[in-house]
This record gives sequence, structure tokens and C-alpha cells, in this order.
Amino acid sequence: MAMLKVTGLTKFFGGLRAVHDLSFEIEKGEILGLIGPNGAGKTTAFNLIAGFIRPSHGEVFLEGENIVGMKPYAVTRKGIARTFQIVKPFRKLSVLENVTLAAFLRFPARREAESRARGVLEGVGLGGKASLLATDLTLSEQKRLEIARALATQPKLLLLDEPMGGLNATEIEQASRLVVDLCKGGVTIIWVEHVLKAIMNACHRVVVINQGEKIADAPPERVVENPDVIAAYLGAKAK
Amino acid sequence: MKKILIALAIILLFSAPLIVSTPFFVHLMIMVLMWTVLGASWNILGGYAGQVSFGHATFLGAGAYTTMLFYLKLGIAPWYGIPVGGLVAALIALPVGFICFRLRGPYFALSTLAVAEIIRLVALNWESLTNGPVGLLITTLPPVTLFGRSIDWESKMPFYYIVAILALAALLATYVMSRTRLGAYLLAIREDIDSAEAIGINTVQARVAALSLSAFFAGVAGGFYAMYLRYIDPDAVFPIALSVEMVFIAVVGGLTTVAGPLIGAIFLVTLGEVFRERFLVGHLIFYGIFMMIAIRYMPEGIWGKLRLWMGAQH
Repeated sequence: MAMLKVTGLTKFFGGLRAVHDLSFEIEKGEILGLIGPNGAGKTTAFNLIAGFIRPSHGEVFLEGENIVGMKPYAVTRKGIARTFQIVKPFRKLSVLENVTLAAFLRFPARREAESRARGVLEGVGLGGKASLLATDLTLSEQKRLEIARALATQPKLLLLDEPMGGLNATEIEQASRLVVDLCKGGVTIIWVEHVLKAIMNACHRVVVINQGEKIADAPPERVVENPDVIAAYLGAKAK
Repeated sequence: MKKILIALAIILLFSAPLIVSTPFFVHLMIMVLMWTVLGASWNILGGYAGQVSFGHATFLGAGAYTTMLFYLKLGIAPWYGIPVGGLVAALIALPVGFICFRLRGPYFALSTLAVAEIIRLVALNWESLTNGPVGLLITTLPPVTLFGRSIDWESKMPFYYIVAILALAALLATYVMSRTRLGAYLLAIREDIDSAEAIGINTVQARVAALSLSAFFAGVAGGFYAMYLRYIDPDAVFPIALSVEMVFIAVVGGLTTVAGPLIGAIFLVTLGEVFRERFLVGHLIFYGIFMMIAIRYMPEGIWGKLRLWMGAQH
């Protein structure tokens, strides 16, 4: 059974069709890239899956269970965690507290939650920053904090919304490695990204959307050759 | 050190009216402590959970009317009526919360204002229950014997000790809540509500819980207020001015601190009385100027500022 199966997902914002009849699947252990030009509907697709927006039509199945229409916190409890493209840390709380709050979901006792949170912070390379305020981290560290917080809820499926946005080349490489490590650790990942290079190296499969519709679904090396994808990104040749 | 200071403060709290027992001073202290309860109530919701309410008089009034009506219509003594007033206020908070917390930020704040006005108008017009604008009056309080002595309700002393216990309870509840998972969740909600949802926090439920706890203490203070004044009417317990005063006390004292409301109440209630005495006309101008200075130079509140200076972590 697919880890996540999305069928016919559609969202209208008034007259604007942000996502149209989007269907795809992801198997356990996969890293699925979700790419597309600006405004293609990638983040909206995330918000639909994670329950932040209710779709106009369509279903979302997590391991066979229909979770469409559930509130975001309920979706997280079911095992889907997300990060935000524009980071949203709890700014005036410590890095450790940020992650501990997420660990409370599975470990109601503070001591246990804190020790889990420390473990997760070590894992994403923020072990030494635990006592800083979240607001004092660099952008790259805040992006890692987003991931740490999502991981602390012990998700089956992780939705990463542009974790590379705004990072420099070295940071991108480190972050890519982190994502691949997470996958090896048993988390299934859907990864929305603008930085195509990172996606091409790390993902098993890539879904391309343009103007809310899926235009390709294939391994990365095939996607880059797909004429529709090239047209979407670079514009079609005049006929 | 901290424990010694707290112990000293509590000893001072219970001995103050024995040291200075002039009626004016005792009355002033009663008002300070009642406003401490109200400030603490607002702090739980507005400070910890970061949800600004402009309508907390709703709960104060609900507690006041409940306590009064329990005594007048059912003959239930106020010392039972006061906690029941808190419970009724907490119950009213449930539907209010589930409806108003669909809104965020300023829209939530405006909805609380609307709720307070609705409840005030209900109290004004439901004359068979509330006597409408005429209000409710108690002439005598029922006799109570404690430790073999009958309590003199004509003196202010018993009221002082009742409200002192209520104030301690409100601050203790704030402290305990801040140490629980709910307290931690409220801070998360204050910092970023989307992120709070994303890590699995049912933010509506947590905010309703905070509102309910907050309303309980506002209701208890309202019940006390009714018994102390022995007279209430809708304009005495439901006006916007009371709601706003709660905000001031919590903010000037120091949001998201346990002792902030006490400090805020000491400063603002005392200043209010002093200004009123010194400048019979226009005393609110000076009060307003003080508020502006306090907010401009101490946005973290008096207690918050002191803690920064002392370098405290919590």
C-alpha cells in the first residue's frame, strides 16, 4: 500500500484554480521531489495534504486512511509532519523548547520529551545551539530547526517546503545530505524545492506541476529531458 | 532567596491590615488584591496564550450576577456562591471560546468586545432575572462563625482576608499552569499558531482551556466584588472600562510573569486613588499620561523590567 496517495486534489481560490486534479503516490522509504515554476501550486498542494487548507475536491489517503478535511494538528497526530517555506520558529523560546514542544506529542512527560528533543537536535546538527533563542539562529539553522521540530513529532511522512530556500552552496550541500540521511533513517519524504540541483541528486522520483496540474512524474534524469517540463520552466519555442 | 522573598511577601500580605488598619488603607488593599485576581485572569489568556481579550468584564459580571442571584434567589451563602460564580464564568467561556477562537489576532479581540456588549445588554433587559437597570442589592450578609467568633461583615477585615486568599490562589494557579504542558502549549500558540498546529497542538482546545481558566478567576473576582459592594447593576460589572483596566494591570505589571498582575495592581490601583484624591477633576488625564510613559519605556512591564535587570531566566 502506498504511504500517501493523493487523488484528484483540486483547490479553487475564488476563480483561481491553484491546484487542479492532482494525483500522485509515494511509497514508503521514497524521497519524492515536487517541483514547478513559481506559483505552480506546490505550497498549496502541501497545505491541502497537511490540512491547513480544505480542498475543493479530491482525497488524501495516508496508508489507506482518508485524512482529507482533518485539522492540521490531527494530520500531524496521524503521522504527517511539515516544515514551512518561510520559517516559523517559536522565536522567543529556546531551540530546545521549540523541539520539546513538538516531542510532547508522543512523550507527554517533560523529561522524556526533552531528552528526545536533544537527540533530534543532535541529529540535525543543532546540538550545540539548544539553549539559544530560536530568533538568534541564522536562517540556515532556523531551516534545520524547522526540520528538527517536524521530526520530533515522529512522522511517517515528512513534507519539506523549500528547505534550501535562501541557503548558500555549502549549506545546500549539508542540508541535502541531511535529507538523504533522514530517508535512510526510515522517514518518507516529499520535498518541494526551487533549487533543482539538490532535488536531482537526492530524489528517487520527481513530480512536476505547472499551473496547478501535474505535467510529469518520473525519475529525475528523465524529468529533465521531458519537453513539457522544459517548456514550463523556460517557456515553449515559438511555433 | 526566592523562597524567602515569597514567604516574606505572604507574611506581609496577611499582616498588612493589622499593621495599618485605617479603613481607607484596608479598602485600598482590598481593591489592589481584587485587581490582582483580575489582572492574573487576563494574564493567563493575554500573556501566556497571547490572545487579547477586550471583553473580560463578561466573566467578571457573570460571576457577580451568579453569586448575587444564588444568594438572593436560592439563599446560598456567598462563600459557596463566589466559587460557583467562577465556575459559571468558566462554563460561559466554553461556547464563547469555541466561537471566537475561530478568529485570530485583532478579530478575536473585537469578538470578545462584542460578546461583552451582548451579555451586558442581556443583563440590562432580562429584568425578571436581573432586575435590569435597577440592579441587585443585598442588605445583610448571612452570619458566619469561624474559630468560635462570629464574623463582622460591617468591618472590612473579613473581605480583606477573603480577597487575599483569592489573589494568592490566582497567582498560584498561574504558576502551576505555566509549569504544565498546557502552559508550554500556550506559549507556542502565542509565538506562532500555525507552527503550533503543525506540531500537533489542538490550538482551539488549548485556547479554550486558557480562556476557561482565565474566566474562572474573573468570575471569582466578580463574585467577591458583588459581595463587597453589596450592590450590582449591568453598568457596574459589565462596562468596557473594567475590561480595559484588566488589560492595563496585566500589561503594566508584566505579561507572562506570575507576579506581574500583583505589581501592576499595586501601582495602578494606588495611583488611581491618589490621582482621584489630588485632582478631583481630570484625574484620568494623569492616569493616562502614566500609562503612556509606562508602555513607552517599559513594554515588558514593571515586573518584567525588574526581572531583566536582575538577569532572571524565569
